[in-house]
Amino acid sequence: MKEKEGTVDCQKHQVVIYVEKENGKYGPIQTGSYISANYLDDFFYKRKNLEVSLRERVISGKISLVYYYMVLEDLSISELAARVGIRKSRIRKHFKPEGFAKCTVEILKRYASVFNIPISNLLQIVLVNIGAHSEPLTMPDTRTGKVAIEQKSTDNPYLSVTIIEESGQ
Amino acid sequence: MIIENFKHKMAAHCESGTITSLLNHAGLQISEPLVFGISSGLFFGYFHKMKSFPFPTFIVRNKPGQMRINIAKRLGIKFTGYTFHNNDEGQRKLDDLLKNNIPTAAQVDFFYLDYVPTWERVHINVHFIVVIGKEYTDYIISDSYFPELVKLKSNLLDSSRFAGGSMSPRGYIFHVTGIPSTVHYEEAIIKGIKKVCFNMLHIPVPFLGVKGIRLFAKKIVEWPQLTRDNEHLSHEIMKINILLEDQGTGGAGFRFMYSTFLQEAAEILNKSELGDLSRQLMEIGDDWRELSLFAARIGKNRDLGSEKIGQLSRLIMNRAEVEEEFFIKLSKVIKKI
Repeated sequence: MKEKEGTVDCQKHQVVIYVEKENGKYGPIQTGSYISANYLDDFFYKRKNLEVSLRERVISGKISLVYYYMVLEDLSISELAARVGIRKSRIRKHFKPEGFAKCTVEILKRYASVFNIPISNLLQIVLVNIGAHSEPLTMPDTRTGKVAIEQKSTDNPYLSVTIIEESGQ
Repeated sequence: MIIENFKHKMAAHCESGTITSLLNHAGLQISEPLVFGISSGLFFGYFHKMKSFPFPTFIVRNKPGQMRINIAKRLGIKFTGYTFHNNDEGQRKLDDLLKNNIPTAAQVDFFYLDYVPTWERVHINVHFIVVIGKEYTDYIISDSYFPELVKLKSNLLDSSRFAGGSMSPRGYIFHVTGIPSTVHYEEAIIKGIKKVCFNMLHIPVPFLGVKGIRLFAKKIVEWPQLTRDNEHLSHEIMKINILLEDQGTGGAGFRFMYSTFLQEAAEILNKSELGDLSRQLMEIGDDWRELSLFAARIGKNRDLGSEKIGQLSRLIMNRAEVEEEFFIKLSKVIKKI
């Protein structure tokens, strides 16, 4: 590939690719990611739709937040089981609210650690209203306004703190 | 503290980039393509059913960690590595090495690195970074996928080093402990190329090498039956582009970087045939890129009927034919040297 063909303008996602330079030598250039430059909107569109459909199923009691996060984070059942340290059959039980109800706090802590979320977020979804629709606080990529709510993990693994900031006048 | 004289540099791939940075810091001036080629980085594998992935996937490089092992063996470089039974021990050892001004590479899960944009974060235990300093509770990281040095909270580095699951790093860190006074590239290059030819043409596993590319071409027509809906299929088809172009390959599933390696090898070995093959591989890479752009386009347009998936399958099958021919030629040239 010639250097000109490989050059993409995308500051938010830089990559190194190898190209043919003008003198015929092959070498690296730092450039933008083609897919991030051209298709990121489509990625967010699909991700939003997936999140909304999973959220509706959680709200209607068909699935638990364990299943919700497993699908959103693109984990297989085997991988999740290996990371949490329990059998796949137990993980499958936790996909449904009635099975999830039997999770110990210790198991919830392990799920939260794998999903990299505060433990409280296995029992709640914090939504941000944007015009006519809502999206989770944990999906900040497409928001442009500032949200004065922040969730922080603490040194206590069973506690997260939610900070609501008063913006003043 | 920070190791001041460590030069951060972006690279195409995390493992070859990390090894290159560590070797450059230790005084061996070697390029990333040479590291990649000598360590037989080029590969292909298709996994239709694998427990650790929720959907069929493919790889375009050798096993994570193998580049370090191969380059150590072929150039006589000594690396010292450590895994740990507990997190505290792992953090203490890393801190000790940093106190002694030793840049230390770590194998981590990409997902917990909060300096990575959220859309790029995936749970995969095979990313490599170099830790070069610590300020209070932040580690200073040289990540070859980022233009500048970045900071990472110690609890997140800990999560990423000790994530469980497949290919769990168990806190794995390594650093350079010895470089031979004279490095003989010639023999190492020949061994590196021979191994890649073997892996692509003769490895006796039906889903690896050129056989893997053929299997990928055959199996991709089954993907629509494995997806939740059309948007899921679109996502998986567009991931072909990400895996070939974006996830640290240097473009075209490492083919561009390997052709750069062959050009360097032609000069070192003084073999013009390798230069010709380098140009051929660059063209083969251009067609891989065409294929990945096609995948992105049909995914975006949701143009995912059997006709377009069949066309994608034929493009992949064509790559198998072309690469088989290429690696047979490369194999013949390298055997004569």
